[in-house]
Amino acid sequence: MKLAKFFTSLAITVLLVYLLNHGWTIGSVSIPPLGKFLDPFHGFWQNLEPAGHQGKKQLAIPGLKEPVTVIYDSLLIPHIFASNNDDLYLAQGYVTAQHRLWQMEFQTHAAAGRVSEIVAGDAVLNYDRRQRRLGMVYGAQNAQQSMGTHPAIIQYTKGVNLFIESLDYSSLPFEYKLLNYEPEPWTNLKCALLLKNMAQTLNMGDKDIQMTNALKLYGKQMVDLLYPDNEQPGDPIVEKPNGWNFSPVSVDTVPLALPEELMQVKKSPGSDPYTGSNNWAVSGSKTYTGHPMLAGDPHLDLSLPSIWYAVQLHAPDINTMGASLPGVPSVIIGFNDSIAWSVTNAQRDLVDWYKVTFRDKSRNQYLLDGEWVDTRKVIEHINGRDGAVFYDTVVYTHWGPVTYDHNFQAENELNGYAFRWIAHDPSEEITAFHRLNRAKNHAEFMEALNYFSSPAQNFVFASISGDIAMRVQGKFPVRRKDEGKFVLDGSKRSQGWQAYIPNAHNINDKNPARGFVSSANQYPADSTYPYYITATEYEAYRNRRINHVLRESENITFRDMMNLQTDNYNLKAAESLPMFLSYLDTTKLSHGELQAYRVLRSWDYFNNAASAGATYYEAWWDNLVPLLWDEMENDSVLLDRPTTYNTIKLLREKPDLSFFDIVATEEKESAGDVLRKAFSLGVEDIERWKQSHTTLPVWAEYKDSYIRHLLPPLTPLAIPVKTGGNHDIVNAHSRTKGPSWRMVVSLEPSGIKTWAAYPGGQSGNPGSAHHHDLLARWAKGSYYPLLFLKAPDENIQKIFYTTHLNPNAE
Amino acid sequence: MRFLFQILVIIILGSIMEFFLPWWSVAIAAFAGGLIVNARMNFVAGFLAIGLLWFVKASISDLSTDSDLTQRVALIFMLQSKVLLFLVTILLAGLVGGFASMSGGALRKNQ
Repeated sequence: MKLAKFFTSLAITVLLVYLLNHGWTIGSVSIPPLGKFLDPFHGFWQNLEPAGHQGKKQLAIPGLKEPVTVIYDSLLIPHIFASNNDDLYLAQGYVTAQHRLWQMEFQTHAAAGRVSEIVAGDAVLNYDRRQRRLGMVYGAQNAQQSMGTHPAIIQYTKGVNLFIESLDYSSLPFEYKLLNYEPEPWTNLKCALLLKNMAQTLNMGDKDIQMTNALKLYGKQMVDLLYPDNEQPGDPIVEKPNGWNFSPVSVDTVPLALPEELMQVKKSPGSDPYTGSNNWAVSGSKTYTGHPMLAGDPHLDLSLPSIWYAVQLHAPDINTMGASLPGVPSVIIGFNDSIAWSVTNAQRDLVDWYKVTFRDKSRNQYLLDGEWVDTRKVIEHINGRDGAVFYDTVVYTHWGPVTYDHNFQAENELNGYAFRWIAHDPSEEITAFHRLNRAKNHAEFMEALNYFSSPAQNFVFASISGDIAMRVQGKFPVRRKDEGKFVLDGSKRSQGWQAYIPNAHNINDKNPARGFVSSANQYPADSTYPYYITATEYEAYRNRRINHVLRESENITFRDMMNLQTDNYNLKAAESLPMFLSYLDTTKLSHGELQAYRVLRSWDYFNNAASAGATYYEAWWDNLVPLLWDEMENDSVLLDRPTTYNTIKLLREKPDLSFFDIVATEEKESAGDVLRKAFSLGVEDIERWKQSHTTLPVWAEYKDSYIRHLLPPLTPLAIPVKTGGNHDIVNAHSRTKGPSWRMVVSLEPSGIKTWAAYPGGQSGNPGSAHHHDLLARWAKGSYYPLLFLKAPDENIQKIFYTTHLNPNAE
Repeated sequence: MRFLFQILVIIILGSIMEFFLPWWSVAIAAFAGGLIVNARMNFVAGFLAIGLLWFVKASISDLSTDSDLTQRVALIFMLQSKVLLFLVTILLAGLVGGFASMSGGALRKNQ
């Protein structure tokens, strides 16, 4: 009897331990091993960093040649002092991984289509298949072949791996514990994957399939009206009429046959058009100091851990500081002793889709210049969370991988759509950043950028020697007119990219007479630029506001620069609202609508946090667009709405445009009817909002922004933030996207001064006080002066702690 | 007295073993406590000992941090507050400690 009791209780104990030591997946819900996870000695409680927590003061790092000193300042920004470059990049890899390992690895998994290994679900599998079919790893491998042997990458990888080797369950980052998996070794390929990840975010925008459908449905004339090539309000990024003194590379002008078909493809979204950016530099003639100033704020989908990791890198031939991309050696946006630079995305069509005709269902051959040519098949293994493997065959052609075929989001068994993307090509961005971080002047800046291919960016530049400059840099195909706007014929080699614009012909400008350079994703050059340029969209509002303010300003201080970066003036509203209001008949408005009308009439067009007018305008706009372009919301045919700028232009100039009729109603609507209807709907939205909120419907409350966790289902880890701004406004903070890094640099010969802020914090650990400690100041639109050290022993009062990395004593 | 002594033994053993072994070492500690001391209420002693050990250790972590991660973890587990997360932690620890201690006691009584 007693023996039975012993065995029973022992069995229960063993079973309990077993159950609590294993993770369980029920449907799409994953439960971590609860015993492990909740154990306060090793589990997630260990990720709760004690207040004022400091890292180790001494670390043994085998592989270092000399000791390295890492000084952490009060913002937890590491200042790395090494006596040679190999040690510098090894230390950067180690230090970055220490704060951001989970993020770095997750982003490479996401780029490579390996999220299924971590999270279960059909949507995740579909995402992974798409990444593989877009050739993300194929592109990264090509890039790695050209730059994977760069010493900075090799050393960085070593550093990351040394950190990974130092981990045990207790010290594992929080997300690994929650999702119940472990980091794998870092590789050189992962550095390349992260650059491709950024290229996908910024340079994968296209609407070829949508435009092809529009062409079939509406005809060429309507397409040109709805989607003009260059609607160009305001100044291009660079204006040099008669200044393009080179003879352009020409390609054979094979007439491009316009496609005539409706595409049965459920295409996944490419780059988000709202991820734009601002940057500008003003010359000493316009500043209070008499020396140049530079500002930059890249706008991205905001998430935690933060996109950027601030760092200072110091070795005998380098002293640079700024925003680094966790997982990539070097500083991406920043400054050094002599220069500063920042980037905005260069809007350019760098994506083409080629319709491929297969010989038969086996897809072993496809038609190319009248012959049947062999395809290359790659079998992708997508490992599932539960151990099951999903096999997907991706067909490679002359053009690149066939993304959409009858196995994936397209219907026809004999056709496929092959993807040609500039970021599939070999490239040497690491060399570009390696040189840029060390550049002393404009000539060296230009030289460094010659190594930069993708994602194409508008690089702004300023130097303490007094120069300001702009360069649109990337690898751009020489395009024929209209090439790249529609799906292309994949059976003719002549339809492909024949040549690339030489670096020397890329758009650039130095010390223009107006005293400033700027870019905000607008059209890049004046009409005399001899190459054909097209893109999904060009920015229409931020660029004009920035140039207007810079043109009017003299004696610019660093505060003026900050004020412009956080400027909430809604130029779009200023241009459209008077026209919108003119359609309202105040005698026919309800009580609530009349109130809204009055608020809007007295609004100053600033989307400030406390503005009620902004709320009413944005609610109106958000209801207006889907009503105007209701024809384009079609389940079977993919279409794209015209741009915001063109929408407003058409409302003003063509109020009777057939598209403005609302298909679902019997009446025939014109612009005024739709505007009135959208106004009522907007007011209704706000009335409904008021019923569930205790605060007034001011813009920050109504917009209700938040910074999400990198893994969207982890909503409890998202941080709400109340701010003004919106897309199309210089302070581009919409609900989830916005300035991911704000930087203002004053290039004074006595020493560069920099102020910065970003919506997050240095630590990727949600249990750290530094996880999002910089967010509050960023939200208020204020900045931190950055500590830029010349040697490892300065400014003792701002130093948080110092870690000495020592080579192992043999 | 013996009961309190048993709790003390399990807590001391548990906190030492947790430094060298994974979380399940608390089961060994409670088992050993039951086997060595064997008070009348082995399950309760093991439950209280390991539950208390985890509660105290978790509380120290939670009280000394500036972060609100505990609350956020509670929400991830669809618990309304971190108090519930503490209760779940204590309950799981207590069950493992209780049954392990009971097993140790039962083995002792067999001999």
